[in-house]
Amino acid sequence: MELSNLSHSLNLLLPELTLSIALLVLVLFDLIFHHDKKIISYVALIGLLATGFFVINQFSLSGFAFSTGNESYRNFGMITIDSFGSFFKLIVIVASVIIVFFSLSSDEIKKTSERIGEYYALIFGMILGMLFMISATDLILIYLSVELLSLSSYVLAGFTKLRERNSEASLKYMIYGSVSSGLMLFGISLVYGMTGTTNLYMINSLIQIPHLNLFTFSFAMILIFAGIGYKISSAPFHFWTPDVYEGAPITITAFLSVASKAAGFALLIRFVKITFVSYIDTSGFWQLIHVFDWKTLIVVISIFTMTLGNFSALWQDNLKRMLAYSSIAHAGYIMLGLAVLSNQGLTAMLIYFAVYLLMNLGAFLVVMLIANKINSEEIDDYDGLGYSSPFLAASLAIFLISLTGLPPTAGFIGKLYLFVALVDANMIGLAVVALLNTVVSLYYYVRVLKHMYLTKPETAIPEIKTSKPNTILVLVLLIPIFIFGIYFTPLVDLAKGCITILGL
Amino acid sequence: MSLYDIIFYLFAAITILSGFIVVTSKNIVYSAFSLLFTFFGVAGIYVLLGADFIAIVQILVYVGGILILLLFGVMLTNKITNVDIRTGTIHVLPGAVAVGVLMGLLLSAMVWTEWKTQPSETPVTTTVTLGRLLITDYILIFELLGILLLIALIGAASIARREQE
Amino acid sequence: MTSIPMEYYLVLSGFMFSVGIVGVLIRRNAIVVFMSIELMLNSANLTLVTFSSYLGNVTGQVFVFFVMTVAAAEAAVGLAIIIAIFRNKLTVDIDKINIFKW
Repeated sequence: MELSNLSHSLNLLLPELTLSIALLVLVLFDLIFHHDKKIISYVALIGLLATGFFVINQFSLSGFAFSTGNESYRNFGMITIDSFGSFFKLIVIVASVIIVFFSLSSDEIKKTSERIGEYYALIFGMILGMLFMISATDLILIYLSVELLSLSSYVLAGFTKLRERNSEASLKYMIYGSVSSGLMLFGISLVYGMTGTTNLYMINSLIQIPHLNLFTFSFAMILIFAGIGYKISSAPFHFWTPDVYEGAPITITAFLSVASKAAGFALLIRFVKITFVSYIDTSGFWQLIHVFDWKTLIVVISIFTMTLGNFSALWQDNLKRMLAYSSIAHAGYIMLGLAVLSNQGLTAMLIYFAVYLLMNLGAFLVVMLIANKINSEEIDDYDGLGYSSPFLAASLAIFLISLTGLPPTAGFIGKLYLFVALVDANMIGLAVVALLNTVVSLYYYVRVLKHMYLTKPETAIPEIKTSKPNTILVLVLLIPIFIFGIYFTPLVDLAKGCITILGL
Repeated sequence: MSLYDIIFYLFAAITILSGFIVVTSKNIVYSAFSLLFTFFGVAGIYVLLGADFIAIVQILVYVGGILILLLFGVMLTNKITNVDIRTGTIHVLPGAVAVGVLMGLLLSAMVWTEWKTQPSETPVTTTVTLGRLLITDYILIFELLGILLLIALIGAASIARREQE
Repeated sequence: MTSIPMEYYLVLSGFMFSVGIVGVLIRRNAIVVFMSIELMLNSANLTLVTFSSYLGNVTGQVFVFFVMTVAAAEAAVGLAIIIAIFRNKLTVDIDKINIFKW
């Protein structure tokens, strides 16, 4: 690799570089200022904002970085920068900034305040892994970034050590995670054996030749899907989700449910798009190379995922656990957008993710603020909350309504675009299944509202006061839900402009 | 049967047998020590395949690092006073069925697929090529690996440390 | 190169992978589960090295080098978590760790 090539590559990698430097500064500051830990949070915040700045700067940029090969013959890069990647990076960074604010007011994290430097260092490790997952186009880099994300999140899931279930969540997460990444690695090794390369673009051009062993190739794809499916908690690989979400500190749960899932989806979409699409026809549908039937796989898994998520959520009495199942169901909905295999479906997925970021983080934020006071996430303890603390209860209600997908909230817009994409692709049966699932989900979301507004508490509960910064944070998440629910054109335009995935 | 064949079968037998002992032995210390032989067996196979550098790294990292770590784990989680270090098994039957199916798929894939191969050359030492690749084409991943190790270090220290009350 | 056909190496690695999966599925002790995961990673490495040497392409070996590093990091973190659990519960049997439904 020549120096000019390197500097070009580094230019495209500015967000990741900023984040790595911020990580090192964070570790250093943690060592220097070990009496005053407040400064660490500010350093983390500044690092994230700087990264966000460079991500936004990159929106108009596209190109390959770190291409392998020699002067005479140069491959495509290991990293691809395009607007699709920038969109997901922005989602991750926004979620991270909100998580830092979460952590500032979380009681669980406050109790471990002397280890806050490690906490943020690990969070930065997660973010770095996600950023690389989003833009990686080489199987080696994909494996490594997934591992970077996983290793940091294993530790964070058990970070507080206050309760037994923390470290158990951690162990369970780790065992499932290592197994699925082992499966993925084996799948990658088979692909390498069949094509002789690890670059997705090269694989794309190589699998167009007819005499490829389809059985082995499909087997390898299913193994690779195991690794990605674990990250997005899709159906056969979702077992860890409820337990880890319940056991982990709530800030981490919220982060995993939004950012980690977003990175996993970005990876899945990019992997399918770059490796398997031979061309995009005039109406925006992706024509796959006939080596592996992604469409059937994704349709089956998405139906399975959302049905399982929604029906299991019906019986949950712990709100965190219920939100975990609801996030599994949402992964199923989002996968529908991929099943369409068209630009329209991709747009719908991007819109859904932007909305999902707001409503899911919001729901977790309110649950955390309530848990800070009543020290419980059980649904029975929410009785009468609508009268004792009207602001929090009302915001939770709105977040949950938005998660159901009812107008006039943004959740409705997200679902609407998904369903329209499905209907346009003549997949009406699938749209009906998704609609029925939404109806089921209404039941368990409304059950929370019923507890808050209709059930009389056994003992009078005091009002839960929220501090000013927390109120502002809730409002920051709450107001866009209404804005995007009514005036959604800017969001849709943004998503439409972000569907460029650099391909062949 | 040439000398190569004999060496291959020897190492393959060591690898498979000791791997089998790892997962079936009731005594966790036996498992750990059989793992040692598995790692050595794999290293031997690497040498046969002409991957000299990887074979050495296999011994350094797996035997010198991971195995020692696992043994420490065994010692720290089994009190000296409490000598019962036998460990049990769970759901053997469904496990066996699932693995049987997987193994069938795997082995048929391995045998029937036409893998991409190139005419073989005389094996040369790979260290120079590997080293050059690591700091040119794969420099990004190499650096990322550094961050991954830093994160692992912070994480492991953070979670294993005893909290002062 | 040796006279051994490539398939022999691959079958060996396939066997090792299956043995690793068996361990993950049937063993209760978390440390043994980790050992089984190491077996799985080793077999994937073996596949990669085999392909790399029969393809005459060093990329596979670079990958193996990276995977070994990751495996070491994973083992370190995994054992740290196991030790944290052991301190709380004095057991590392994954079915005795049953606050959660496993």
